[in-house]
Amino acid sequence: MEQSGASLLERDLAKLIVQTLKLKIDPAAIEPEAALFGEGLGLDSIDALELSLAISQTYGYQLKSSDPQIKTIFSSLRALAAAIEKNRTK
Amino acid sequence: MRETPLIGPYDVDDVLAWDQEGPRTVRQFLTDAASLAESLPDRSTALNLAANRYDFLVGFAAAIMRRQVTLLPQSRASQTLLRIAREFPGSYALTDRGDAIEGIDSVSIQLRGDQAPWPMDIPRIPPDRVVAVAFTSGSTGRPVPNKKTWGALTAVAQATGVRLGIKAGDRLSVVATVPHQHMFGLEASVMLPIMHGLAMHAGRPLFPADIRSVLADAANGWMLVTTPLHLRACVSESISMPPGGLILSATAPLPRNLAQQAEEHFQAEVHEIFGFAEAGSIAERRTIDGDRWHPLEGVHVAQDASSCLVQAWYLPTPVPVPDRITVDTDGTFVVHGREADQVNVAGHRISLGDLNQLLLKIDGVQDGVFFLPEEGAGLVTRLMAFVVAPGKTSEEIQQKLRAYVDPVFMPRPLVCVPSLPRNATGKLPRESVNELARQWLEREGDGA
Repeated sequence: MEQSGASLLERDLAKLIVQTLKLKIDPAAIEPEAALFGEGLGLDSIDALELSLAISQTYGYQLKSSDPQIKTIFSSLRALAAAIEKNRTK
Repeated sequence: MRETPLIGPYDVDDVLAWDQEGPRTVRQFLTDAASLAESLPDRSTALNLAANRYDFLVGFAAAIMRRQVTLLPQSRASQTLLRIAREFPGSYALTDRGDAIEGIDSVSIQLRGDQAPWPMDIPRIPPDRVVAVAFTSGSTGRPVPNKKTWGALTAVAQATGVRLGIKAGDRLSVVATVPHQHMFGLEASVMLPIMHGLAMHAGRPLFPADIRSVLADAANGWMLVTTPLHLRACVSESISMPPGGLILSATAPLPRNLAQQAEEHFQAEVHEIFGFAEAGSIAERRTIDGDRWHPLEGVHVAQDASSCLVQAWYLPTPVPVPDRITVDTDGTFVVHGREADQVNVAGHRISLGDLNQLLLKIDGVQDGVFFLPEEGAGLVTRLMAFVVAPGKTSEEIQQKLRAYVDPVFMPRPLVCVPSLPRNATGKLPRESVNELARQWLEREGDGA
C-alpha cells in the first residue's frame, strides 16, 4: 500500500516508529496526517520517551516537551518529520 | 492524637513551587488553597486530575480544608474515571486545564494570583483523618480503593526524609518525572517537599533534555524523583546533567548497573524506594550498596511461613507484601520477585489472572491469555495477549479492551489464534503459554 504522498523522510520515520515501538503494523499504513497518540495509534508517554531516544540516536535531534510546539510536533507523522527535518544534526 | 500542620517548616515568603511561569510562595499557596476551598461544592470526594503539581497541591489542600477526600485515579482513561465516580457517588473532578470529563461534574482550579495579608492560620489536620484514596487495578476492571490517612502520608514523608538525610532548611528543589496521582509521586514529590520546607517543580519533565533544563534551574541543589525508565533514557542520551543532587527512584526494581551508570552520569547518589499502593513507601536503599532494603522508621516487616506483612502505627491493619521477600533478623529484607501472578509494567502492578478475566468479558472472545515477554531492548517491556475470537480482528478486540484496561496494560501485540494450548483438564500451564509466545516471536518477532 502506498502512503498518499508520503516523503522519503516520512516513510523512514514510519519504519522507525513501528520498529521502536514494536507495533506489528505495516509502516506504510501510518497515514501522514493521522494522529499518532491517543485515539490514533494509541501511543502513550512511555512511547513518546522511547521514540524520542530513537529520534535522537537516528537524527541527532533531542526533543523537549517544554518546546511550545511539542503537541504539534507529535500530532502526526508529517508534523514529526517536519520538525526532524528542521532540527536534525545527522 | 495530635493534629499536625498542613505544611512544614517554611517562612511565609519561601518558594514552595516553581515552573516556567515563575515562583509560588507559601503565602500565595495558602491564599490559593483557602480561596479555592471556599468555592468547592459541598461534596465528600473529589477526583483531583490536575496535571500541574502546584495546582494539584492547591486542590488537595483545599479539599482537606473542606474535609473532603481526594481520589487519585491511576489514569485519566475516561472509563477508569467513570468507574471511580460510580464507586464514590457524588464525586466531582478538580481540573486545571478547563477540561470537562463527560458524566462527572468538574470544577476548574482557579488560582487567586494575589497575596493574602499575613498572618494566616496554617490548617492543622488530625492524623487519623482519611485525606486521600489511591487506586490499584483489580479484577473485573474495578479499581480497588486504598484509604490514606493524614498520619500515614506525613509519617512516610518524615521517615523518607530521615533515610535520605534531608533536613528542614536544606531548601533543595524537588523535580519529579512521575505523576502526583501515583502513590510514590504523591509521597515523594508532594508530601516529602511540603513536610521538609522544600521547593517543588510544578511541571513533569519527560525527555532527558527537559530534565536537564529543569534541574539547571534548581537553586540550592536538586532532588530528582523518578523511575528506572527515565533514568535509562537519561543515561542512554549523552546529555550532561547539572551536578549536585540526589536521585530517588521507585515503581520498578532498578538494576544495579543502571544505578551505577546513573550515579556517574548525574554525579549524584541514587536511592530507591520500595513500596506499593496498599502500604505506601516502606523501605529504602542506595542501589549500588547492595540488595538489602532498610525499612523506614516505624515500619516493621514480619515474615511467617506463608506470607509477609507490613506493620506501622498508621496502618489500621497489617498489609500483605505483594512480592516474595526474605526478612533478616535485623529487620532488613531482600526482594526476590513478584508473586507468581503479578506483573509490573512501567510501575503499574496488576494480576495476569485479572487481566485474563477482562479479556473474557469482551463480546466474541472465547478464550484469551495475557503474557509478559522477557525483557527486551526497549525501555519498557509490554504485555502481549493471545486471543481466540473467531470472526473478530485484533483491532476490534483492542478497541473494546481499551475501555476496561489501563493504557499501560494494553497488549502489544494482541494476537488472534485459533485456539490456546489448554491441557486435558482445561488448564493453561505457564510453560505452554511461554512456548506459544516463543514460537510466535520467532516467527513474527523483531524482524520488522
